Amino acid sequence: MKLSPDERWNLIDSIANQVVTYGKYRHTLKDAIGELTVKPMAGIPIAIAVLYGFWSVFGSFAGTLCTDGFFVKLFDGYWLPWLQEVFPGKGSWLYSILIDAGGMTNGEFILSNNCFEAFGVLTSGLFVAIGVVLPAIVIFYLMLTLLEDIGYMPRLAVLIDTVLHKIGLHGYAIVPTILSLGCNVPAVTATRILETRKQRFIMMTLLAIFIPCGAQLGIMEEVIPELIGYVLLYLVIGYFIFGFVLNKIVPGKSPEILIDVPPYQKPMIANVRRKLWMRVSSFFKVAVPFVLLGCIIVNVLYLVGFIQWLGDILAPVFVGWFGVPKETAGPLVAAFLRKDLAVAQLSVIEMTQYQMLSAVVLISIYFPCVATFAMMLKEGWKELIGSVAVLAVVVFLYGGIIHLIGKLIGVA
Amino acid sequence: MKILLMGHPNVGKSVFFNRLTGANVIESNYSGTTVDYTCGYMSLDGKEVEVVDVPGTFSLDPKDRAEEVAVAMLKEAKDAYVICVIDSSKLERGLYLALQIIEEGYSVIIALNMDDVAEDKNIEIDNQKLEQILGVPVVSTIAVENIGISNVISRLKDAKPVDVDDITARGMGAA
Repeated sequence: MKLSPDERWNLIDSIANQVVTYGKYRHTLKDAIGELTVKPMAGIPIAIAVLYGFWSVFGSFAGTLCTDGFFVKLFDGYWLPWLQEVFPGKGSWLYSILIDAGGMTNGEFILSNNCFEAFGVLTSGLFVAIGVVLPAIVIFYLMLTLLEDIGYMPRLAVLIDTVLHKIGLHGYAIVPTILSLGCNVPAVTATRILETRKQRFIMMTLLAIFIPCGAQLGIMEEVIPELIGYVLLYLVIGYFIFGFVLNKIVPGKSPEILIDVPPYQKPMIANVRRKLWMRVSSFFKVAVPFVLLGCIIVNVLYLVGFIQWLGDILAPVFVGWFGVPKETAGPLVAAFLRKDLAVAQLSVIEMTQYQMLSAVVLISIYFPCVATFAMMLKEGWKELIGSVAVLAVVVFLYGGIIHLIGKLIGVA
Repeated sequence: MKILLMGHPNVGKSVFFNRLTGANVIESNYSGTTVDYTCGYMSLDGKEVEVVDVPGTFSLDPKDRAEEVAVAMLKEAKDAYVICVIDSSKLERGLYLALQIIEEGYSVIIALNMDDVAEDKNIEIDNQKLEQILGVPVVSTIAVENIGISNVISRLKDAKPVDVDDITARGMGAA
C-alpha cells in the first residue's frame, strides 16, 4: 500500500511527536557567524574579502613562490641548457619538436634562452605542465576544498542569488562556476544540480566560453600579470551580457530555489588531503597528455607550414576584425587542445599590450578545450551543438567589440 | 546483494560510502556534491557486496537531473537493501523519503547521521521507539568520525520489507 503525501506527513508528525524531544535551543557563536556570513550587509563584504584572499593566495603561491621562485630557475637555468647541450641534431625536425625550434638570425641557428620560446615537448611542454600549472592547480583545489568543507559555498550561493537570476540561473550556479575555475571538465557534470534544461544549457555554455580554468589562470598570472585583471574583467562582463541575452532567447523555465545552508564545520585534514589528491591527480591525467600532445601537434603544423598558411588565410579576420597579429593563428590551434599552452605560446609573439589582451581574451572564449568538449557531448549532443553555435557568434561579436573598445580609447 | 545509500542532499551519504567501501568519492559540506552514482564493494560475512552512493534526493519525485539518476537507481535495483541516511537534526524531512522507499517494498535500515549536530541543537531522538514504530533498524551515526558505521553493518541483516499499514497502525495508534 502507498500513502498520499498528506497521509505521509500526518504519520510523520505523529511519529515525530513520540520520538523527538527538543531541548532549549542555544544560540551559539557558530550560529552567529553562520548568520553573519549569509546576510547581505555583512555577508557581501565578507564574500569579497574571502574571494580576494583566495585570489591573492593563488597568485602569490603559484606565480611568485613556486613558478618564479623555483621552477623558472630550474627549467631555464638547468633543464633547458642541459637538454639543448646533450640532445643530438640541432636544427633537425626531432630536435625542434622535442627540445627547441630556435630561430634563424642572419643565417645562423640561435637557441632559445627560456622555456616559453623553446616550445619543445620536453622543454616548454613539461615546464607549462609542471612548473606553471601544477602549483596553480594544487593551491586552487586546496583553497576550494577548504571552502567546501567548512560549508561556505551555500552561503555564497545565497548572496549571489539575485544577480544570477538576471541571467536565468540561480545562486547555486556559483558551484559549477567556481568548480570551473579549477577545471571546466568536472564543472560540466556539476551543472546537473540545476533544475531545468534551460538552466543547464545556459550554465554549460557560459562556463565553456567565459570561465578560464586553473591552468589558464596560472599561466596568465605568469606571463601577463599586468593584464590579467583586464582579461578577467572582459570575461566577467561577457559572462553577464551573454547570460542575459541567453536568458531572453532560450526557451524554458528558471525556477526559484530553496537551499539548505548547512552549519559550519571544521574541515577534517584526512578528507581535505584525500580530496585534494583526487582532484589534482584526475586533473593531471587529462592535462599532461594533452599538453605534450598539443606541443607535438603545433610543432608539426608549424614545420609543415600549415600554421603560416592558416594565418595568411585568416589574416583579414584577425588583423581587420579582431585587431590581433596573424601569428595568433598558431596559439588558436593549440587552444583547442590546451588553453594554458596557447597562452604560453602567445606570450612570445610580438604585439602591443592591447593586442595581447585581445588575443588572450579570444583564446579564453574561443572553443572549450577538447576534454571539456568531450564532457559536454556526454551531457547531450543537442546542447553541445547549441553551445558551439552560441560560441561562434560570441567570439565574432565580442572579439569585434573588444577591438572597437580599444580603438575608441585609442590603444588599438 | 546490493546496498543503496539514499537520503537528502548533504546528509553524509558520500562519507558513509567512503567509510563502508574504503573508496574515495568527493565529500563536501554542501548539497549536490554527488551528481552521479558511484559503485564500490565491501565485504559482509565474507561475501563481496556492492554498495552504491546515490545522489541526494528529497523525494522519489525527481526535480533535477541528479535526482532523476537517484530515482532510476532505486527502481532498477528491486531487491536492494537501502541504507537511508537521515540528518538527525531534520528527522521529519528525512522520514518522508524513508517512508516512500519503505512503501516501494525495499528492505530499509535507517542511519540517523550527524548525531553530533542534533546534539548541538539539543534535539534528542528515541531510537528504540522509532525502530519499534517503523519496524526497521534505526542506528545513530556520526559518519565523518566513523562512529556507528559498524553498527549499521551488523544490523543490515535485520532490515526487511515492512507494510506501511502496520507503521500507520503503530504510529498513529499511540498518538
